[in-house]
Amino acid sequence: MSDVKKIIEPKLSFDQGSIHPINQVKDHIISFLESKGFLHISGPEIETEKYNFDMLNIESSHPARQMHDTFYVNNKSHVLRTHTSPVQIRGMLSSEPPISFISAGKVYRKDDDSTHLPMFHQIEGIYINENVNFGNLKSIIYEIIAFIFGSDVDIRFRPSYFPFTEPSAEVDIRSKEGKWLEVLGCGIVNPIVLKNCKIDSNKFSGFAFGLGIERIAMLKFGVNDIREFYKSNLDFLNQFK
Amino acid sequence: MKICERHLRKFILDDLDKETLSKKLVQLGHENEIINDIIDIELTPNRGDCLSLLGIARDLNVFYKTNLNLPIYQNEIEHFNLQFKNEAETECPSINFLNISVKNLPEKYISEVESYFIDLNLKKNNFFTDISNYVAYEMGQPTHCYDSEKIDGSITLSKENTNENFLTLLDQDISLKGSSLIFRDNKNIINLAGIIGGKKTSCGSQTKNVIVESAYFNPESIIGKSIKYNINSEAAHKFERGVDPLMQEKALRRFIYLVEQHVEIENLKLYKYSNADFKNNELDSNISNINKILGTDIKQEDYLEILVKLGFKIDGKIIVPSYRFDIRHQNDLAEEIARTIGYDKIKPIDFKPIINTSTRDLSEDKLKQFLKDNGFYEVINTPFAKKSNKNSITIDNPLDINKNSFRSDLSSSLISNLDFNEKRQKDSIKLFEISDIYSLKDELMYEKKFSILVSGRQGHNYLEFTKKLDEDYLVSLFRKLDFDIKPFISSFDRQKIDSKIKNPIFLFEIRLDEFINQLNLNNVELKNKIKFKPYKEISEYPSTYRDISFAFSDTALIKKLENIIDKYDNISLKESFVFDYYNDIKSNRIKLGFRFIFQNQEDTLTDEAVDIIMDEIIEIALTQGDIEIPGLNK
Repeated sequence: MSDVKKIIEPKLSFDQGSIHPINQVKDHIISFLESKGFLHISGPEIETEKYNFDMLNIESSHPARQMHDTFYVNNKSHVLRTHTSPVQIRGMLSSEPPISFISAGKVYRKDDDSTHLPMFHQIEGIYINENVNFGNLKSIIYEIIAFIFGSDVDIRFRPSYFPFTEPSAEVDIRSKEGKWLEVLGCGIVNPIVLKNCKIDSNKFSGFAFGLGIERIAMLKFGVNDIREFYKSNLDFLNQFK
Repeated sequence: MKICERHLRKFILDDLDKETLSKKLVQLGHENEIINDIIDIELTPNRGDCLSLLGIARDLNVFYKTNLNLPIYQNEIEHFNLQFKNEAETECPSINFLNISVKNLPEKYISEVESYFIDLNLKKNNFFTDISNYVAYEMGQPTHCYDSEKIDGSITLSKENTNENFLTLLDQDISLKGSSLIFRDNKNIINLAGIIGGKKTSCGSQTKNVIVESAYFNPESIIGKSIKYNINSEAAHKFERGVDPLMQEKALRRFIYLVEQHVEIENLKLYKYSNADFKNNELDSNISNINKILGTDIKQEDYLEILVKLGFKIDGKIIVPSYRFDIRHQNDLAEEIARTIGYDKIKPIDFKPIINTSTRDLSEDKLKQFLKDNGFYEVINTPFAKKSNKNSITIDNPLDINKNSFRSDLSSSLISNLDFNEKRQKDSIKLFEISDIYSLKDELMYEKKFSILVSGRQGHNYLEFTKKLDEDYLVSLFRKLDFDIKPFISSFDRQKIDSKIKNPIFLFEIRLDEFINQLNLNNVELKNKIKFKPYKEISEYPSTYRDISFAFSDTALIKKLENIIDKYDNISLKESFVFDYYNDIKSNRIKLGFRFIFQNQEDTLTDEAVDIIMDEIIEIALTQGDIEIPGLNK
């Protein structure tokens, strides 16, 4: 037998693509919340004012309802949803408590600069049951923050205002430089919203929370300009394999 | 809102430590930044009552000893026989007019008024307007001063649809549109109610006789108007957020007091108008409601003590102060307690998850994984496009006229993405997008669509480098999922885009659910674990490349060359790969071609700079053994 020397050929590396970083972050958080019993539901991006505002206790005098903040479509018959909360309204209307939903997706506001875009993504969660309180809300928020940012991060709850929750809170985490960074909003579901959804607010209460996905992605990846996410630049997307 | 810490001290009797003050304000829900003596407070939209020194001091009363009583003019005031007609009682249920004239104008302001202008770097106008602005800063109630001698006859307030022009006291000429709440005298519009007064009746530096208007306007009647007419109005901001419905006369009495501190008053008369008796909200006072909402164990007496410090009265029920129109139910009271004790003091309490038995369909995730594994990039595009289809959704108030519609397909966005990347020297483009697409036929409809696009080289390796991304590529790719995609593929005519590149473009777009139903995704393994690697800024400068071929006989040199090139580190070298490999067994000769792609972060690379790096790579390569570089002059 002849002595055949095996040639080691050059390595063949096939290009790997990537799933969009915003969807990666979104799916990452959705998976965690699903593991906590939340059911992922979806709804339309073009909504009625009733579901986007009225049912959520956002009164006609609220700044969000002005033409400068909201995109109106087809002769003001509809709006581009300004948050994913209308999905939860639809969820509450079609279910009986106890319920726990999450909704995620694109939302629209009439903004366009290096920190705001006319389109961005949110994840919101809602939990309705008997005797739900602010302590329960804090419990899930601590878990979410620990999952995303690690269990050793400093967290601060401070009062805020959302028409659909009362009490409402913004949650900040402390950066390595010692600055407080806002990461999510949350609160106890306003009884008016429960009543709007035909839920007995004397028997049931609930909490709700919402995160801006771009905000989380920017903090986790260190991206400074939100617009980079939507240029579809392959040099950018290539970094999120 | 900017206030000066020194001015706040007028109300707060305890020592103020800036750092503690800042923390206490955050605890109360007033995010802030203190630079030197200026506190810049970001108030939430429901806290219009805090848009003043008094408002902030009222909130801080839960932490500090305060004196919330500003000196006001206490004497009875003669009735002002003003001819006033209120035709907008719903929008303005309460309004007072003060007629005040002075003998002389002051040469200088008392120190507290003077420091308001100096500390906040504000421009003075005239005596009465300056006092009016100072009262609004202190008490949150805007007032407006008319030069009494410039008003022609009676005053009427009405809500009108008018297209008249109105010249503001800041010389801004406004064409009124739609419904407006306006004050008129017998001749002119004299005030765009709650927003800005008119030039014709404005006070000047010599004005000594004024009518001061102090009103409560419903926020709905004011909101959006200052933005509509591009007017920067502090008064409008306060009315939009809501003022205390019982503050109107008190603000005028403070106004008189401050005028009196400066000059002798000659004449003083007051006209009062109110069409409604204000009734404070009343709420049940049982702490169990609050503990149930918060998950706390607060005692009844502590609860009531906090509310009293916040200005609530307890009379069996909880009586909400007039300025706290945001307090309507028990959850609002719970927030008052939570922010006073501190949100961070409320302990987390575990809760019982609701177990959902339904399982998520992973088909879409598997499709994405399959495409990622085959070198495709997922993109997300904004949906705004120029209207090109009668069934597409029209945006009534677009950001610009070229984005006046919701896109009616995904493919057009992918073509734009291709063009963007080709202009950045990308020669292998594989993109896909999944998104809802909306249309309006008889009714609003939407469907989730999938679109994919390929153009250029199949890949950056020696097997795929010379192969084109084409119809056959897509067909063989989706054959792996047992799907014949050929009938759906279309080619895109490059003439439609301004591009010098000749590579053909192939794409298809399909309803996602129909598509997924026809794919066999059983063998696709989901393995996408997110990696949070720090992102590196990408360069906006053009890239350039060099190709080099090495020829040799010793097969061990393949690995050696690959290793040294893999390890070669230069900030300008962005990517390198073997694009050509040929083993001529007969002549025992191996050819190995490398492509080097260069790009700088800071500037455009010159040929000379690239040549220096290439010379270094060649020099290192040639030390590895008996290697020849065809075409290289030794």
